[in-house]
Amino acid sequence: MTDPARIRNFSIIAHIDHGKSTLADRVLQLTHTIEDRDMVEQVLDSMDIERERGITIKSQAVRVLFTAADGIEYTFNLIDTPGHVDFTYEVSRSLAACEGVLLVVDAAQGVEAQTVANALMAMNANLEIIPVINKIDLPSADPERVRHEIEEALSIPADDAVLTSGKTGEGIREALQAVVDRVPAPIGDAGKPLKALIFDSYFDAYRGVVALIRVVDGSISAGTKIRMMATSTVTDVEEVGYRRPANVPVDELGVGEVGYLVTGLKDPSLVKVGDTVTLARHGSTEALPGYRDVKPMVYTGLFPIDGDQYPELRDALDRLRLNDPAIIYEPESSHALGFGFRCGFLGLLHMEIVKERLEREFDLDLLATAPSVEYRVTKTRGDVVTIHSPQDMPDAGSVDFMEEPYLKVTVLVPPEYVGAVMELTDGHRASFVNMQYLSNTTVDMHYEMPLSELIMDFFDQLKSRTKGYASLDYELIGYRRSELVKLDVLLAGKPVDALSFIVHRDKAYARGKMLTEKLREIIPRQMFEVPIQAAIGGRIIARETVRAMRKDVIAKCYGGDISRKRKLLEKQKKGKKRMKNLGTVEVPQEAFMAILKVDD
Amino acid sequence: MTEFPEHVYVHVPLCVSKCGYCDFCSVVTSERLADTVVAALTVQASTLAPAGSCAHASTLYFGGGTPSVLGARLPRLVTAMRTVFGVAGEGAEVTVEANPDSMVPALAAALVPAGVTRVSLGVQSFDDSVLRVLGRPHDAGSAERAAGGVMATGALDLSIDLMCGVPGQDMRSWEESLVRAIDTGAAHVSVYPLTVEPGTPMDAQVLSGVLPAPDPDLAAEMMLTAERMLGAAGIVRYEVANFAVPGHESRHNSAYWTGRPYLAVGPAAHGMVAADDARLVGVSATAPAGAARLRYAYASDVQAWLDAPLAPPAEIEWLTADEAAREDAMLGLRLSAGIDPALASRAGVVGVLESLVGDGLLERADDRWRVTQRGWLLGNQVFGRVWAGE
Repeated sequence: MTDPARIRNFSIIAHIDHGKSTLADRVLQLTHTIEDRDMVEQVLDSMDIERERGITIKSQAVRVLFTAADGIEYTFNLIDTPGHVDFTYEVSRSLAACEGVLLVVDAAQGVEAQTVANALMAMNANLEIIPVINKIDLPSADPERVRHEIEEALSIPADDAVLTSGKTGEGIREALQAVVDRVPAPIGDAGKPLKALIFDSYFDAYRGVVALIRVVDGSISAGTKIRMMATSTVTDVEEVGYRRPANVPVDELGVGEVGYLVTGLKDPSLVKVGDTVTLARHGSTEALPGYRDVKPMVYTGLFPIDGDQYPELRDALDRLRLNDPAIIYEPESSHALGFGFRCGFLGLLHMEIVKERLEREFDLDLLATAPSVEYRVTKTRGDVVTIHSPQDMPDAGSVDFMEEPYLKVTVLVPPEYVGAVMELTDGHRASFVNMQYLSNTTVDMHYEMPLSELIMDFFDQLKSRTKGYASLDYELIGYRRSELVKLDVLLAGKPVDALSFIVHRDKAYARGKMLTEKLREIIPRQMFEVPIQAAIGGRIIARETVRAMRKDVIAKCYGGDISRKRKLLEKQKKGKKRMKNLGTVEVPQEAFMAILKVDD
Repeated sequence: MTEFPEHVYVHVPLCVSKCGYCDFCSVVTSERLADTVVAALTVQASTLAPAGSCAHASTLYFGGGTPSVLGARLPRLVTAMRTVFGVAGEGAEVTVEANPDSMVPALAAALVPAGVTRVSLGVQSFDDSVLRVLGRPHDAGSAERAAGGVMATGALDLSIDLMCGVPGQDMRSWEESLVRAIDTGAAHVSVYPLTVEPGTPMDAQVLSGVLPAPDPDLAAEMMLTAERMLGAAGIVRYEVANFAVPGHESRHNSAYWTGRPYLAVGPAAHGMVAADDARLVGVSATAPAGAARLRYAYASDVQAWLDAPLAPPAEIEWLTADEAAREDAMLGLRLSAGIDPALASRAGVVGVLESLVGDGLLERADDRWRVTQRGWLLGNQVFGRVWAGE
């Protein structure tokens, strides 16, 4: 056990791409936690997909030993957190395990939406915030301006902000010294029953579910019989230890320590982020605050392109969920696409990552339908149902009213793009709340808008209309009544359930028209004419036609080169195989996402 | 050896300039290069059919490139190849491809005593603006003069190549080209819808928006117009892209569509022989079990081929008896004669053919399977499914 006075628990928080992971790499090198020869980039991001995309998806906790200016060795627990709004809850729990944060701000980009959101979260958690202005090696770095922005936008004094470069290593030691000097040591009561916070978990094929924990009161050791308070799960601790980042077992974790806990459990749903671990007998009666059940925000249908792969998809989801309990899924069947799963995700990035991991790690070819949100339908008889899929929408006649999830949305943008943002938000049913200048270069704009609109390509549009300068953050503020209708799409006269979507009545006509136009571009010409229709409750509101293919023939002789002709034919056939055959119509995969690409 | 192939294709990889749409094997000619190519072709041919072999080819086809750029060397090359491959007597068909700018009347006259019986003239269009888009080195006037020179010999069958679906080409331009092709007295016309091949200069022009992409609907109308107008002039379709006055069909090209073996000479030249005859064309590898047919091609890089004209084929492909039968069925359906039920069942594609009848692409008439009007335009649908056998 480490003396709490010599412990500092902190996290590094930042807007995406502001250099958080590189800064963490330098910390691990400077403290000889990882020797130079073993160093790889983004060492804490162990998943391929994290490295490729330069993002953090899973939290990490590393114990680092730092000899401070006074010659005393301190034990740091560096908790690396995801940087994307999809993972806000995980970040909040990781912060709850800390006493302080390094708030990293890019010296050129300045304060962005998630800088603000993360800083607010740290303030709410009563953490000491040490501003770090990073990437000062960049030619475009402007630390003075960024210092000013931090003070203006966040009301955090930034006189003593640490200037660093993750690239050259400059300022890293100063940042660590600031952690010693400014982050308070953890406070807890060793004499009270165990109370520890679970801030992440992962699945080990041999050892089952491993939880990352922060001990608040008491202590925990191998053999302790523990209870997870939210799920009431009781188990015997198999092992405790800390991570460097490999697991190092210890006899006991005491007050203020951060480490891992091998639960011996095989079912990850029993170990929830934010839950409190206590003793099974005579344990604490009061859980740590802040736990909530994480609910998916975005739903989509995932279908194997090759229908025979359905069992493989089910196994893959079962296995992926071990490491990512935030995914939920249930079987879904579609007339058009066969058997698949309706899956819920924390957000669009989470959805993309899961789909990519399923395809890469389990060698599956998947088709995703357009994402949807969870709607609440109050029926005329008074009962309330929630639906995740347009296919589950009850008959219009049986619906009294519907509600959809609304967000508070924050957009940070340079003043010259305010007009572009207003134009974009206008088209997405957003209502303007207010805006304020954070500095000469940054405007903070607030909106309320439906989540269903945010997932309509909003982020990509925002980025492209502001030349990449805008940043976005959002949080759920609840459900609101909305005039919603289900829009169906018919190909060659037959409804294609997988193309249906739920849309606001005022938008239905325009979206239906644009979708049919988009589908006409996407669906290649076939042997027969293919009418594309959009309909609401059986009434056609838009129609386009993919004309029949007139000519498709390689006539040229090529001096008897028959092999070439055959190869061309085989290539054509391969192209067709990648399409989904809906009755007589062959539809490319992108058609199912076309609704996201209609721009109004 | 089962039987020495009766058909020989000789590739002359030289052109006066490279056209923007072309991705065939050809390089810009020079006097020295022309001498070298002729020598190398002759050496390669003599090795394939050494003196005293039982070669007795019935068709010889000089394609390119542009064989006519060889000028006075061309009749000498033809004579040499006739000797090597034992082409003699009245019945043989000897075709040379030619471009209007190099097919001068004197060359036409010199080809007759060398044994040439057909000239296939790469006119492509009688509209100068279309010729410019294609990057052809000639104009409509020179095409008519060249055609006149060939007809004036009184001994050569004339075939004219025309292209439709060219960016900027309209129906009027196309109809005029058809009329003027008919007026030359040609007994054979080939009609090719333009394909923009990846990597060609034309492809770059289309991608960058300098040229509009070919309109497949217009090309389809043009193919129908060609069939109608040529047919009215007695020049009837016998293959998806070929039309002839009955009796003037290309026997050489017909060999490609009817599964008959043919030899290749020259760079990038393609040949086909029975698997048992692989050694005849310098393929020493043992045929894999079940192989029935060998398709092969020589190096497609002109310099590589010139450096080693006796090297074995650079590409080989073995086909099983089943694959060969499906290939024969696929190729046979290119012909207006279609295929007979025996071939269809040998190829195992009767079910496929029946479903293609259901799609309106094939018909069953006079106890043969044949492509319909719609099927001509959507040939790849027919060929692709027959080849795949599903």
